[in-house]
Amino acid sequence: MADPHRKPELPRRRFLLGSAAAVAAPYVLRLPRALAREKPAEIIVRAWGGVWEEALRKGVSDPFTAMTGIPVRHDLTEDNEIRPKIWAAVDQGRVPPIHVNWDTTTNATKSALRGVTEDLGGLANLEGLLPLAKPAGLDGWPLVNVYSYAYVLAYSQKAFPDRAPESWTAMLDPAFRKRVAMYDDGIGLFAPAQVAGGGKFEDIPEAMEPCWDFFRRLRANQPLLGEDPDFTNWFQNDEIDLACTIISNAREARQNGIAVSWTVPGEGATLDTDALWIPKGLPENELYWAEQYVNFALSAEAQQVWCNALGLPPVRPGLEPPADLVGDVAYPASEADLGRFLRIPTPVLVEHESSWFEKVNEIMQG
Amino acid sequence: MRPLGLRLLDFAETLRAGIFPARLSGWTPYLYLLPATLVTGILAIGLAEMAETSLHVLDRATFRLDPAYTTANYAAIFGKPVYLRIILKTGLAALLVTLLTLLLAFPYAYLLVRTPHPRLRRLLLVALFLPFLLGQVIRAYGWLIVLGKQGLLNAALALVGLGPVSLIYTYGGVVLGLVQYMLPFAVLLLAPALTAIPREVELASESLGASPRRTFRHIVLPLARPGLVAAGVVVFTLTVTDFAMPEIMGGGANDFIANAIYDAFFQLSDPGMGAALGIVLTVFASLIVALAFLLVGVAALGHGAQQDMRAGS
Repeated sequence: MADPHRKPELPRRRFLLGSAAAVAAPYVLRLPRALAREKPAEIIVRAWGGVWEEALRKGVSDPFTAMTGIPVRHDLTEDNEIRPKIWAAVDQGRVPPIHVNWDTTTNATKSALRGVTEDLGGLANLEGLLPLAKPAGLDGWPLVNVYSYAYVLAYSQKAFPDRAPESWTAMLDPAFRKRVAMYDDGIGLFAPAQVAGGGKFEDIPEAMEPCWDFFRRLRANQPLLGEDPDFTNWFQNDEIDLACTIISNAREARQNGIAVSWTVPGEGATLDTDALWIPKGLPENELYWAEQYVNFALSAEAQQVWCNALGLPPVRPGLEPPADLVGDVAYPASEADLGRFLRIPTPVLVEHESSWFEKVNEIMQG
Repeated sequence: MRPLGLRLLDFAETLRAGIFPARLSGWTPYLYLLPATLVTGILAIGLAEMAETSLHVLDRATFRLDPAYTTANYAAIFGKPVYLRIILKTGLAALLVTLLTLLLAFPYAYLLVRTPHPRLRRLLLVALFLPFLLGQVIRAYGWLIVLGKQGLLNAALALVGLGPVSLIYTYGGVVLGLVQYMLPFAVLLLAPALTAIPREVELASESLGASPRRTFRHIVLPLARPGLVAAGVVVFTLTVTDFAMPEIMGGGANDFIANAIYDAFFQLSDPGMGAALGIVLTVFASLIVALAFLLVGVAALGHGAQQDMRAGS
C-alpha cells in the first residue's frame, strides 16, 4: 500500500534527469560530431611567457588536456612575430603555424581586418559573456575578448613608503631619472599621458600634442623601455622605482617577494582587453579542436582559474575575484567600475596605434 | 694488364671529356665561379623582391600593401629625423666598435702567434673561444648580470665606497657588448695574417737598430694590413647589421637600423617600410665597405699585398 505521507519520488527523479539532460544537451548533441573528429597530435597555442603562460596552463591548457586527451603546446613566439607568419601562411594557402592565437585585441582586430581569422560565432560558451567580450567594429566573432586589464602605475614601496603616487607626472620627477620604465612602444601610456600632459582624453586621436609633450618630458628622465617580463625583472633587480605596466606584471613581482605596489593615479589608467582567435587554413579536425579549446577557455571553470592567476577581471560574469585584489582600485569588479578607466575604442587603436608607436619611437630614440 | 686504379682514372678522364670536352677548358675558371654566382644570384633575387616591396605603402584598412608604386617609404625614412638618427647612431657605433675591436684584437693576436709558450697559446685560445661558443644573446645577458645595478661591477664598487654606476641600457653599454662579441672574429682574422709575417723580418729590423716601436710601425703593421682590412670589414658589417646587442643592452632607446627594421615588420605590421629600411641598410653598409676597399685597395685582402711589400722592401 502506498504511504500517503511519502513524497512522490518520480517527479523528483524526473526533475533531476531533466535538469541533467538540459545541462548536458549541448555536449551530448555535439558528442557524435566530436567522435567523428580525429584528434590532432597536439594543439599549439601562442602565449606570452612568465606568469602569463603559467596562468594559461593552469587555467585552460592542462584542464583541456585532462578533458580531451589532446596535449597543448604553448608557442612563446612574440605576438608581433607570429602575426606576419600567420598572415603569410594564410596568403600562401599553407597550414598556419599555430591553432589558437592569444593576442592583444588591437592586433587580433588587424588580423580580422586582413581576413585571416575563423568565425567563432558558433561557440556555445559565447552565451552569457559580458559585452566586453564582443569585438568592436567587426561583424560576427572573428575573435573573442577573454578578459580586461589595466595599465597601472607600479611603484616600489621603498621609493614611496608613505603613500602611492597620485599622478602619472611622478614619472617625470628628476628624482627618478633612469629609474622609470614603460613599454618600448608606449602602449598603455597614451591616454594617461594625454591627460597628465594637460590635454583631454576626448581629444584622442585628433589633438595629441599634450600626450607627446608628456613623452618628451619623460624622455628627459631616460626611461627603460621593455616588454612584459622586463618589468618584473627590473623591479626584482632594483633597476626601477616606477613603471607603466599591466597589473599582472607588478603582481607577479609582489608575489615573488618584491616590495612593489600599484595605483590608478588621478588621471585614470588605460583599460584594454586581450583576445583569442583561430587562424584560417587549419585542417577541419584541427579547426574543430581549436574551437573546443577556445570554447573551454570561455567557460566559467577555465575563466575562474586563468583570470585569477593573472589577477585580471574575466569576461564571464559572476566569478570570484582573487582574494588579494578584492576592492583593488585597478581591478574593476563590475561594469560600473569600468567607467573609472580610460578606454580608447579598438577601431581608433587599430587605425592610429602604429603611428603612435612611431611617434614614441621618434621621441625615445632622441 | 694496367692496374685497376689507373683504369678507373682513365674511365673518369673519358667521362670528364664527354661531359666537359677539352675545347671548353677556357671556361674552367667560370665554372669555379658558378657556386658563388648561384649564391649571390639567390641573394640578388631576394634583394630585388625586397626593393619591390619597399615601393608599396601599408593600407591600414586591410593591413595589406597598397598595389600602387610609390617612394613614400623612402621619403618617410629620409624625412623623419628619427630614422636619420638611427642610421647615424648605427654608423657611429660600427666605426667605434671596429676601431676598439682592432685595437684590442691586434695585441691579442700578436701574442697568440708569437708566444713561445704553448700553454699560454692554449690559454689564449680557450679564452678566445669560450665566449665565442656561447652566442651573442647569452653574452648580452651576461653583461646585464655583470653591469646591472646589483651586478658584479657595482658590488665591487660598493666595496670601495663607490657607485652604483649605470652602464647597461646605454649607448656605451651597447658598444662595449659589441666589442666583446666581435673580438674573437677579429683575432681569428688577424692571426693568419700575423702568422704569415716571418719572425726573421722583425729580428732583421731589430738587428739593424730599429726600436720595437719602429719595427711595429714599419714592418709588422704594413704586413698585417690584409688581416686588418679583413677584420675591419667583417667587424664593421657584423656591427652595422646587429640586432641582439642594441635590443638587449640598449634598454629600448639605443636602436640600430636592424631594430628599426624589426619594429617596422613586426610591431607596425608594415613590410613596405621594413623592406625600405632593409634596402637603406644594405646600401649604407655596402657603400661604407666599398669606400674602405677604395681607400686600401681590394688587393690588401690577399697575400699579394704582402708579396708586393716583400718585393718592394
